[in-house]
Amino acid sequence: MNRLGAYWRSAGLGALIVVCLGLLIVAATNIILIERQMQISATQNMTWIFGQTQIEALSLSAALAGDTSSDDVLLRYDLLVSRLNLLRDGPQWRFLSEAGLAEGLMGWRDGLLRLDPAEGGDTAALKAHVTALTTALRQKASQVMSREWQVQSERLDRLSKLHLLALAAIIGALISGAALAVLLVDRERRLMRARVDRLRAERLQRDLNRERAASEGYRRFADLIAHQVRTPLAVIDSAMHRLTRSGNPPTPEVIHAKADVSREAVARLVRLTDTALLMARVDRGAVAPDLACHDLDRIAATAIEDLHAGRRVTLRSGNRPVTAICDPVLTSEILSNLLSNALLYSPPHTEIDVRPVLNGEMAMCDVCDQGSGMTPEELTSAFDNFMRGARHRDLPGSGLGLPLARHLARLQGGDLTLKPREGGGLIARLSLPGKVAT
Amino acid sequence: MTAMNRLLFGTVMLAVSASGAAAEEVLLTLTGAVTGGQVELTQADLDALEWHEIATSTTVTDGQPVFRGVLMRDILDHAQASGDTVTARALNDYVIDIPMVDFHEFDVIAALYMDGIALTPRDKGPVWIVYPRDDHSVLADIRYDMRWVWQLRALHVQ
Repeated sequence: MNRLGAYWRSAGLGALIVVCLGLLIVAATNIILIERQMQISATQNMTWIFGQTQIEALSLSAALAGDTSSDDVLLRYDLLVSRLNLLRDGPQWRFLSEAGLAEGLMGWRDGLLRLDPAEGGDTAALKAHVTALTTALRQKASQVMSREWQVQSERLDRLSKLHLLALAAIIGALISGAALAVLLVDRERRLMRARVDRLRAERLQRDLNRERAASEGYRRFADLIAHQVRTPLAVIDSAMHRLTRSGNPPTPEVIHAKADVSREAVARLVRLTDTALLMARVDRGAVAPDLACHDLDRIAATAIEDLHAGRRVTLRSGNRPVTAICDPVLTSEILSNLLSNALLYSPPHTEIDVRPVLNGEMAMCDVCDQGSGMTPEELTSAFDNFMRGARHRDLPGSGLGLPLARHLARLQGGDLTLKPREGGGLIARLSLPGKVAT
Repeated sequence: MTAMNRLLFGTVMLAVSASGAAAEEVLLTLTGAVTGGQVELTQADLDALEWHEIATSTTVTDGQPVFRGVLMRDILDHAQASGDTVTARALNDYVIDIPMVDFHEFDVIAALYMDGIALTPRDKGPVWIVYPRDDHSVLADIRYDMRWVWQLRALHVQ
């Protein structure tokens, strides 16, 4: 149905274009015809030509009546003959014939030529002939004028008709042009609507993708609760169960050991809660970094110290101080996060290096471990919320550590990136705006 | 060809002479800004100039007659005419001003023959100013048609 509509619309458009062009061609043709017919030709001046003939007849009459020399009579005679000859010429003769005025005119001419004064014609007879001719011409003069005006009026009528036709064609072209414009505007509107629909569909697709990502996040969150909350709770439950078992009361050593296990489980739960709370605050935009110049070496040293990790972590400072523009609390949080990861995901006997360096205008701190590293897939999704490496599902962790660390780095105008370490392991690189020593 | 024309011309001249016109009769009189204020041209004077032919339609005849005569600018040069306007006067005292540029822009001739027959005062002669109407579309216009003076007898240059 829609396709049929489009077909008819296209056909209508084509037809309108043809009509419009056709009408314009008609108008142009008529205008050209008008232009050609507008020319005035000397033939149309018959009233004047006929009047001249009359004048010459009268002049000859006067010359014959007066004392004028025979030379003047000859000249006047020649001129009258020439005027009669002119009337006999093609266009003039046709005009007179069509008007019914030609009849008899050449008889007058032949009579005149028979009385040629140059050949000794009878002057008295010539005089009588010319007088009679004058009267005959006078009678025809008004008819010539009337005929002339009639011809002119007919010509004007024809011009007027052509003119009206051209005008009608132009008005027709205007109307079809307007219809054409309406069709084109309608077409444009349809195209625009299609474009808007497409954009809306794209937005819907994006919204849908976001919803999917969100539900994936919830799924991962449920996963997290299942593993990271249940495990410590199970540990505590088991310890309590051992302590309250009937008969065979626990020794003080056992009580101490179970208390240690339980406290550690609680500490894990607290850490998890802290991380989730901080992440929520960052998401809300409630964390405002307090930026100032700080020695990145010192922040790293403090973070290492706080971990109580013994000799496994080594700070390898360069020979120049590395000054970063950062918030020391947030930076420390990031580094301890990275260090916890490194400790967790690399074997106990391997070393972890921390290298603060100044690279151009950026202050950087690399945390390099010698663990199993990450696969390319893991690297691409490492910063997604609640994303845990499939191989480490059972190790403690929230899946929020890396995303939170990156958020905190970006809050300070820096970034956090991961790349594989040559020879195995992972390098986590924190970069922060540096202060270039001047 | 020229010799042929001269021969033909001579024959026609004899005919004209026989009808009363003498070879020494003044055909055209130029006045105003010309040599000595007045130059009279006879048939013989015109005969001494180069002749030209134009085949053109006219407003008062049918077909495309062939006109033969002398270029108007040659006549004016012959009389050393200098000015912007030439006032042409015919036997019946028809008077019209013709801009001098016409004669330089177009090959306007003072025709003495139409279709090989000498023009006489009883027709449109002895001299008819003829424009090459069919060679230039701009000439097919009443403003130029009015300048086709027949029975021309005098030119006044100013």
